[in-house]
Amino acid sequence: MSQAFLIQTAASAAAVAILVGLAAWAKIARPGAPLDEARALKLLGEDFPGRTIDELWVAVDGKGAMAKSGASALVLCEVGDGYVARQIPWAQALAASFKDGRITVNLADIGAPKAVIALAAWPPKPTKPHKDLAA
Amino acid sequence: MKAAFDPVTLATPFFIVTVILEILLARFAKLDARYETRDTAVSLFMGLGSSLAGLLTAGGSFAAAVWIYEHHRLFTIPMAAVWAWVALFLLEDMTYYWFHRLSHERRFWWAAHVNHHSSQHYNLSTALRQTWTGGVAGTWLLWLPLSLLGFPPAMVAIQKGISLVYQYWIHTEAIRRLPRWFEAVFNTPSHHRVHHARNPRYLDRNYAGVLIVWDRLFGTFQPELDEEACRYGLVKNLGTFNIVRVAFHEWIGIAQDLARHPRHALGYLFGPPGWSHDGSRETSASLKAQWAAGQAKHDKLDVAA
Repeated sequence: MSQAFLIQTAASAAAVAILVGLAAWAKIARPGAPLDEARALKLLGEDFPGRTIDELWVAVDGKGAMAKSGASALVLCEVGDGYVARQIPWAQALAASFKDGRITVNLADIGAPKAVIALAAWPPKPTKPHKDLAA
Repeated sequence: MKAAFDPVTLATPFFIVTVILEILLARFAKLDARYETRDTAVSLFMGLGSSLAGLLTAGGSFAAAVWIYEHHRLFTIPMAAVWAWVALFLLEDMTYYWFHRLSHERRFWWAAHVNHHSSQHYNLSTALRQTWTGGVAGTWLLWLPLSLLGFPPAMVAIQKGISLVYQYWIHTEAIRRLPRWFEAVFNTPSHHRVHHARNPRYLDRNYAGVLIVWDRLFGTFQPELDEEACRYGLVKNLGTFNIVRVAFHEWIGIAQDLARHPRHALGYLFGPPGWSHDGSRETSASLKAQWAAGQAKHDKLDVAA
């Protein structure tokens, strides 16, 4: 490996570190208010258009939500300044561990292994009637 | 192994300066750009890793091009001729279009390309979120016919570099629309925003490298619509900033599917992303069909009202 290559790689790594630091300093991520029911439904509607929502539970810290849709659970959780949604069997959601006011849901997905959602209890009591997500 | 004149290496300081400018101008509200720290880190380290990973296979792919050129070329095309560069520009750009389309429409190659689309952001750092596994996916084979035709491999490598550098600056939300004639001919930030969007209407569109005319010609063009803002990322976005998962998640997903359903190996390897033997998953085509059906229902209700 040539010295020029090593210098170039080291300089690139230093530049990456500086750029990441600059991005952190700038604080220009998407501004996001905590999720409320309307926004959670909107976001779920983007990933699961036309689905009927039987029940919806929004995280107490507004960083996620869980919805029951037939035999499925629709899971929404915050990642960075965005959100990730997954559909899993309802039984899998019911099996989520609950500790210190948070459920940890195994999403069984290499790209999104788990979701952690702050909920008052699990499984919670039914709170909302049926809703249809916009198609 | 790289050509002595490597446009990407030469452009690296330009990449760094423009990312700094985009961040600073956004910080002081002079332009529209969003950067999330961990997302930016993943993009930039993917870029750095990509240039290192590329070294592992670049020698082999360049040697293959040299061998074909030396032993099997059909013509001898002069590197100094202007017409040769014009011809190469067009042929290389069309090759890129088909490479890119293949990389989206067949899972094996999508596995190598998916990480470029895995950010929920669209800024200049996203352009640098490049594959670590493109070499082993073998898409460099698609460029070999250019050497077979008689273009010197170094010339092809330079043109590929020029195309990559062109594609860097279009990864931005800061530029909304360019003059109509430019939007008609060239790939632009607007066209490429559509390409990075996960809205069903926008999926699998605008594969162009430099010239958008290939998409117009082959039926994959979709203009950016004011009434439908782009939502960036994957149909199933990643729930992690772990760079190893970002780089390899689709390969691991393929391996898991092959282990579970060996009888359907060909479908899981070479079917469209999202293909499953029991139809339990969504492909771009099924998502677009669902979206179109929803639109039709919506339009019908509007007419009835």
